[in-house]
Amino acid sequence: MAEDLDLESSTVAASVEAIRAELARGKLATSTLNLLVWIDDPARRDWIRERVGILTDKHPSFTLIFDHTGVQHQATVTTSPRDANVNVTVGAERVEVDVSGERAETIAAYASGLCMRGVPTVLWWSGFQESSRPIFAALLPMIDTLLVDSSGGTRDESAMRALAAFHDEHPDVTLRDLAWLRLHPWRDIVAYFFDDPAATSELASIRKLAIASGSESEALYLAGWMASALGWRASAKNAFTAIDGNTIAFQRHRSGDIRRVQSVCLDSDTSWYHAEVAEDAENVVRVWVEGTLAREPRLVPLQAIDNASLLERAILEPGSDELFETALRSAATLLG
Amino acid sequence: MTATAAGAAVNPLRKGLTVDRIADPCNVIFFGATGDLMKRMLMPAMWNLRLQDILPTTFGIVGFSRSGDGDEQFRDDMRKAVDEFSRTGAATEPLWSDFAKHLAFVQGSFDDAKAFDALREQLEKNDRDLGTGGNRLFYLSTPPSVFAQIVRQLDAAKLGPRDNAAGWTRIIIEKPFGTDLDSARALETEVAKVFDEKQVYRIDHYLGKEPVQDIMALRFANVIFEPVWNRRYVDSVQITAAETVGVEQRGGYYDNAGALRDMIQNHVLNLLALVAMEPPVSADADSIRDEKYKVLRAVRPIERTRVTLDTARGQYDAGAINGKPVPAYRDEPDVRPDSNTETYAAVKFWIDNWRWADVPFYVRSGKRLAHKMSEIAITFRSLPHRLFGDAGDTIGNNVLVLKIQPDEGVSLRFNAKVPGPKMHLRSVSMDFNYGTGFGVVSAPAYERLIGDAMRGDATLFTRWDAVETAWRIVMPILERWQDATAEEFPNYAAGSQGPQSSERMLAMDGREWRKI
Repeated sequence: MAEDLDLESSTVAASVEAIRAELARGKLATSTLNLLVWIDDPARRDWIRERVGILTDKHPSFTLIFDHTGVQHQATVTTSPRDANVNVTVGAERVEVDVSGERAETIAAYASGLCMRGVPTVLWWSGFQESSRPIFAALLPMIDTLLVDSSGGTRDESAMRALAAFHDEHPDVTLRDLAWLRLHPWRDIVAYFFDDPAATSELASIRKLAIASGSESEALYLAGWMASALGWRASAKNAFTAIDGNTIAFQRHRSGDIRRVQSVCLDSDTSWYHAEVAEDAENVVRVWVEGTLAREPRLVPLQAIDNASLLERAILEPGSDELFETALRSAATLLG
Repeated sequence: MTATAAGAAVNPLRKGLTVDRIADPCNVIFFGATGDLMKRMLMPAMWNLRLQDILPTTFGIVGFSRSGDGDEQFRDDMRKAVDEFSRTGAATEPLWSDFAKHLAFVQGSFDDAKAFDALREQLEKNDRDLGTGGNRLFYLSTPPSVFAQIVRQLDAAKLGPRDNAAGWTRIIIEKPFGTDLDSARALETEVAKVFDEKQVYRIDHYLGKEPVQDIMALRFANVIFEPVWNRRYVDSVQITAAETVGVEQRGGYYDNAGALRDMIQNHVLNLLALVAMEPPVSADADSIRDEKYKVLRAVRPIERTRVTLDTARGQYDAGAINGKPVPAYRDEPDVRPDSNTETYAAVKFWIDNWRWADVPFYVRSGKRLAHKMSEIAITFRSLPHRLFGDAGDTIGNNVLVLKIQPDEGVSLRFNAKVPGPKMHLRSVSMDFNYGTGFGVVSAPAYERLIGDAMRGDATLFTRWDAVETAWRIVMPILERWQDATAEEFPNYAAGSQGPQSSERMLAMDGREWRKI
């Protein structure tokens, strides 16, 4: 356990004590969670810090940001003001530490020394750099939930592959992926095709699934979700086998901005189902069906879920997300 | 594919999404389509259902009203309504134009049979052009005086369920359902001639509020509350629905209604039923409504001779709300200058059953009170023994408060030791707030309720037997109050806690109201 680490550096112990003393000036009455945040990408540093700020403004929490970008060169401590005259006060404490060049054990000692006891600990791991692996491993024993964004900084499938491997090795750690959570509106749109009782039976005769997206996670998750919901089994990198033995071709195509889906198309024996981001409005999807069950095009709002809300949902929902985990496992089989 | 008990295939892709099932393609027809409720609540609700993609694949929205001028004018008016009142802000393109294509308008008087023929033609056109499949949801957002007339006209124009073999027909009826027991029964007789009970959705928008729905979750999804939810542990229950607003533009209606009809007979008794009912055998609509009905049946009718002891009524005088002067009720537009109508009502109810015998349920509702506040407060009994002697003199009873509006959440008051060398105790509060707890803002009740009616889920609507029983409960009070002029009116200042008589009612029992 991280708590048992021998603090080799007296500097670390002194830093932890100094931060504790600072925190004690505005002692946090209640805290519902510890949020550990790892940042190693300078380009995303401000974006992540802003989202964390929105979250901790609403929830009494202790937030510890490990800044590995080299942008900040000191530790800062922030406690939210508490006003005795208002009924509801959200008390949050936030510590940001520049950990550039620090050893994994040192960083883990910061975390174990400062986190509150008896409340869940969430780690938002925003980096997949190979050099950060030892730090991740050192923090892992003290967390309850791991939060990642597999398409946060990369378009390829490497993060997804790492995530699937992690989930295999650590099934006991509750896992959240913002890339999956962002897909909720698209899952709604695809499900919508088959709400009509006449179309529900079409799900058994799908022969092709084609997804265009700006990064791979979105396509893999959508395909994994459909596969797990419909009982498909990955039979190759670009094909599934349905329960009845028929083959479903799977095509993924890189198109558009990172983290965004551009289109989902499904072919059944009788009809073609299309959902594409409208050319003139990026938050609107044009949906139509051709063939036997043809439907006129209609416009569907792509509900804009801001990342702070996603983060909030990811952190506050307790327990594992079975739907997500089965989608991840299905997606992983496509990666081989 | 999985299947429901009824045999219909279930879409497996719906698992884990916000809604389990999208409604069938249908038309929603609003009577009173140019009215205030339509502009402020109903059309913004339809628009937001559209934004959330909860409306069915194909749908039509038809407005019917005496005034108005064709489809284009209706669409323009509805756009303005959405821009002004939608919780999601002004409508945006190209979504609005796509939505507006589904809007149509039929102008006509409610006694004009030809207008209802025109409505039928519009609905048949929608079925052909939009693919709405003959499914129809009628929404009566008109003055109650024309409810029965509209139902008769629907039947005469062959728009009722018996003439619609192609799809389903349902009707949402706004409150109030009648103005007393006799008029409610008369209306029900007219409605029942055309619609079966399962096709009638009597709306009480309070039931669509998230905290109200959470009452059942709190009670039946937690093990710690139900064991103490009875006469053995509960001292009393207070239900409050307080408003700061006056009668606004509804003086004419309100002066013939009053707080007892407008709030207690429906909203407040529905809350009482949810708090006091037994656990239902399942979460389906009729199981829940069966239990609510049973509780209402157990509410003891107030004898006429006890009305003055077990009730209090009030009417607001001039005063100030949030520092701004406001007029007396009798000076409001369309209110009679010698009005005897109560703007405040408080009643002590008893529930004669095994669980609640001897536990008083104090309910109150009023306009122009100090603050807007709806809540249910369950006060538990005093300690059987004071272990801490003098130190415990100041400790209060445990109180569980279910907050409905404007705060939404749950609060539990309990006693704790004040830090220090002495054993000094003090009451403290443990609060849960929906906004921070779940990180989402509750959708307005009308969105939930219209969506439910389209899907055929009647759980949050009131069944006739409960409506009738609620009228039975309040009738002795109504009759007594109508017979006896309230010489003391006006008897509370706007912006106050209500009339002194209400305070006295509780003081006689050695209790006091929670502060509004």
